[in-house]
Amino acid sequence: MAVADVVRLLETNPVYRSRVTCHQVSDPEPARYGTLDKPLPGALDAYLTHSGIRLYSHQCEAINALRSGKNVIITTPTASGKTLAFNIPVFAGLAAVPDARALYLYPTKALSNDQFATLKAMEKFTGIPAKPAIYDGDTPQSKRAAIRENARIVISNPHELHQVLSWHAKWSPFFSHLKFIVIDEAHRYRGVFGSQIALLIRRLLRVAHSYGSDPQFVLSTATLANPEEFAGRLVGRPFILVDTDGSPHGTRHFVLYNPFYDGIGERSAHQETKDLLLSCVKGDLQTLCFTGSRKMAELVTIWTREDARRSSSRLAESISAYRAGYLPEERRTIERQLKNGEIRGVVSTNALELGIDIGSLDAVIIDGYPGTMMSTRQQAGRAGRKGGESLAVLVAQANPLDQYFMHHPDAFFSRSHEHAIIDTENPYIVSGHLLCAAAELPIREEADAGFFGESFAPLLAELAASNLITKTPRGWVYAGRGRAADAVRLDGMAAESFRIMCHGRLLETMDRAQAYREAHKGAIMLHQGETYVVNEMDLETHTVRVTETDVDYYTQPLKEVDLRVIETLEIRDVNRVKCAFGDVEVTEQFTGYKIKKGDTILGVEPLSLPPLTFRTKAFWLILPDPVAAAVSAAGLDLAGGLHGAEHALIALMPLHVMCDRWDIGGLSTPAFGENGEPTIFVYDGYEGGIGLAEKAFGLLPALFLSAYELVRDCPCKKGCPSCIYSPKCGNDNVPLDKEATIKILCELSRVPEKCDSIGSMAGPEPAAP
Amino acid sequence: MQAESRIGALWQQRMDALREYDVVRDGNVFGAGLAGSCVFSSEYDRARALLGELVSRYDGVEFDTLFPGKEILNGGGSCVALESRHTLPATTIDTARLAQEMFCDLTLVHGVGDLSERRLKARGYRTIADLAEHPKFRSAARQVLERLTRADPNDVMDLVGSRHAKSHPFALGTAGSFEPEDYVFLDIETLGLFSRPIILFGVGTIEVGHLVVRQYLLRDICEEAAALTATVEQFSGRSPALVTFNGKAFDLPYVQDRLAYYGLGTISRIPHFDVLHFSRRRWKGQVPSCRLSALESEVLGVARTDDVPGQMVPEFYETYLKTKNCGPLVPIVDHNRQDVVSLALLFFYLLGETCGCR
Repeated sequence: MAVADVVRLLETNPVYRSRVTCHQVSDPEPARYGTLDKPLPGALDAYLTHSGIRLYSHQCEAINALRSGKNVIITTPTASGKTLAFNIPVFAGLAAVPDARALYLYPTKALSNDQFATLKAMEKFTGIPAKPAIYDGDTPQSKRAAIRENARIVISNPHELHQVLSWHAKWSPFFSHLKFIVIDEAHRYRGVFGSQIALLIRRLLRVAHSYGSDPQFVLSTATLANPEEFAGRLVGRPFILVDTDGSPHGTRHFVLYNPFYDGIGERSAHQETKDLLLSCVKGDLQTLCFTGSRKMAELVTIWTREDARRSSSRLAESISAYRAGYLPEERRTIERQLKNGEIRGVVSTNALELGIDIGSLDAVIIDGYPGTMMSTRQQAGRAGRKGGESLAVLVAQANPLDQYFMHHPDAFFSRSHEHAIIDTENPYIVSGHLLCAAAELPIREEADAGFFGESFAPLLAELAASNLITKTPRGWVYAGRGRAADAVRLDGMAAESFRIMCHGRLLETMDRAQAYREAHKGAIMLHQGETYVVNEMDLETHTVRVTETDVDYYTQPLKEVDLRVIETLEIRDVNRVKCAFGDVEVTEQFTGYKIKKGDTILGVEPLSLPPLTFRTKAFWLILPDPVAAAVSAAGLDLAGGLHGAEHALIALMPLHVMCDRWDIGGLSTPAFGENGEPTIFVYDGYEGGIGLAEKAFGLLPALFLSAYELVRDCPCKKGCPSCIYSPKCGNDNVPLDKEATIKILCELSRVPEKCDSIGSMAGPEPAAP
Repeated sequence: MQAESRIGALWQQRMDALREYDVVRDGNVFGAGLAGSCVFSSEYDRARALLGELVSRYDGVEFDTLFPGKEILNGGGSCVALESRHTLPATTIDTARLAQEMFCDLTLVHGVGDLSERRLKARGYRTIADLAEHPKFRSAARQVLERLTRADPNDVMDLVGSRHAKSHPFALGTAGSFEPEDYVFLDIETLGLFSRPIILFGVGTIEVGHLVVRQYLLRDICEEAAALTATVEQFSGRSPALVTFNGKAFDLPYVQDRLAYYGLGTISRIPHFDVLHFSRRRWKGQVPSCRLSALESEVLGVARTDDVPGQMVPEFYETYLKTKNCGPLVPIVDHNRQDVVSLALLFFYLLGETCGCR
């Protein structure tokens, strides 16, 4: 097999060998098949036989559970046949009940189209009249009524559903017989977006309930650390988990590759990705390469082709880019060429990660950790043809998370994936959906508590006080002037929005916080690859005026954060450090911005923007006095140490809780509050909080330990972007003290043998306060 | 929880940003054409001034004084009905003439186009009854003949609609088979474009030669269910026929939507004459626009004063809700009453042209 040859090259070539920090090999697994509790309708049996399919154990498990009326979440890997596992019971259900309907929700258009084709083919072969149809923003007006009346499987997306619910009267045949709801790629619905979707699903269930139906759910997701909890929160029902993969696979090689192995990195990681891609393609492996951005996908493609041309122009032609901006025909062509082998190497953004059926390839190269373990597994899962040997390579970038994995391969391979967060209690999210719900059907407090939780009554009063809803004998009725579903955006938080205008044309909208950060006067901002300069920010009319520009510098805002604890909700001791969780009020003030070219500061300009104040949830820790004293006594900078620890904690939050470091904010100070205690705060960057700090509070020991290991094992001397430098630091990474950071994190994570120096100074058993 | 004190204000701000119409500069016909719904700036300024004026003029005036109506009680609760009577010009309908024309329209038969009709007529097939003997069109013609003879208005409308434009005079002509008492003229005023309350229902019926307009006006949103119920009760006649202006796209689905919202059932399918479509066919290109307000001034010679543009009704009503000052309701009620009256007049005008006595 060619895979073995390339693996040998990685092990023997001196350049590659030095950068390979870990090479894990997993043994091949034979297929495991299952049995069905109940025989399938003849037509479905014939379909399976005709397609040469024998059901794997996990498919049977899912089918059995679904056919016995349970809600099921399937988390088996990419290409394990999840789609079939829910399509079969849905078709069986449609065959058994002539009126039954099903709703399939997909996050993207391409996926909807793929599923539509699959369902159409199944319908044609089995003769079961599923009448699948896509109903979304592109569905022509003339076809909509017929789809509402006749389609038994409606394929749609959350944004369309959000608009459709208030038209339920037109959908009454559909809602009256809704039996199945399929949510594919459900892991996409996490964080703020997921919390919005969770409430959208409550609204859907509420409408369905009013038409007398109680649909069953099936969720398909990538692997998560908390699948049942996640499903339960997304939908509000108990779920059966199907996670044991029965599909076969061959020997798998997973290589961790660190261009910065020496702490320097002579060339950019992307250049090294290019070399690896070329080696794979030359070794006759059909290879898929994932990059973090569209631009990088194009660049890596160009570089690889240039190098390949030196050996053969045919080889160069067999390498292509594939990204979201392409026209559908272009994408289809590439997909076809991949399948028939004309294309040997494809460089893509994560558009391909989303389950488009291009079959499997021999090798996958991941240019930079994609942010979640879940995505990494999904991308790597693209490698491995039926039973064949496969190779996946993760090429690390110079950032803390990537470098942490390079130095701790065990953490990488043993990780139980991230916890996906859904918060159905954020008042800003809930209130928006209450407005929409009130526009769909009058809200009755008692009957609807089952959908929106117990705590929504005060929100109703609040909305009523602003004349947005009115209490009537039939329940709370929507009375706002605008359309509720237009005011509530699923992909963000409710906030005042600023319009970014260029020559009278609307470029985009931003919420206030983002506008202050990225579109203040003088800011250089990027929009779809174009550079603009902000000429004016009008706070009265919420308008930002920009013009195109072509400059080689960029701007970086300077921010001061102030924080006030409103209420401490929970306290715990972690390694004898007092940690707390609660409500805080954060005030962020943008004081100015730096004009930078590379790392050089060209100038600093002041800004006069009003402060931004928001309430959110935070966890914080108070460094015990003896530790603080020891840090200072060692001649280290306590403030720099706290600041570094804050950055490291935030950098590694995404390792434990599924989020982006931009979703979280932090504050550290050597003297907080009346008692002047050295404190570090980490807070959710969203008004009202979305459960990130809350989840992390429960995982503090693991978070502390990983942050400590990150900084300790980074080969740099004084801190670098791979450990304690933060790309979003409002204080421009000043002050920072790496040694102090290590001492503080060591104390927090309490690794006994390594903490001697501080342990002895701090005393063996600090007395309880 | 203090955070909540900001939630109402936040959503209020977002709602205010979602205006459902644009104000365009006077004479900017291009802009007016592009924006789905717009108000010219002079119209907008006039209406805003009017709103201010009304609030000060009617300060402290009681609802009952301003709108002496009848309290109505039904299954949906209570609401107020305002009643007014209007005279109508006499229209005599000659249904026979139109029926005659229809029986001679061979293109109503499936498979017969304009060209074949000419050929068939030349060969002596002058009526559908003649065609019923044609070797090829026999069975299709017999079906049409049977449907025309049965003369069920819904069915004849379907037949006409399947062979001609839905606004064909034959479709309007089916209205001629109703008694004047069967017509129900409907026009609603709402808080926006769909999924928001209807705040005023204007229903016109013919009673002994006069047009009687009943307006169910919400003193508060909580009266919507009662007003809906009262409106639906107007459709309980022997064979009601609905007449609206743009009601196929707006008023009827809106009312159905609100009935479903409150779980009050639906209006079953009844013949529906949407005067907008017949007007477009009749006057398109001859009048500046086919909005009801334009037609009533061009065709009926009605001039409105102190009118509120339809798109601005929500903000007038909201002002009433917020301040409890009834002034802003005055032009809404007048506007709606005039809409129902103009609708009825236009309908009879068109009906007279289509199948009146010549």
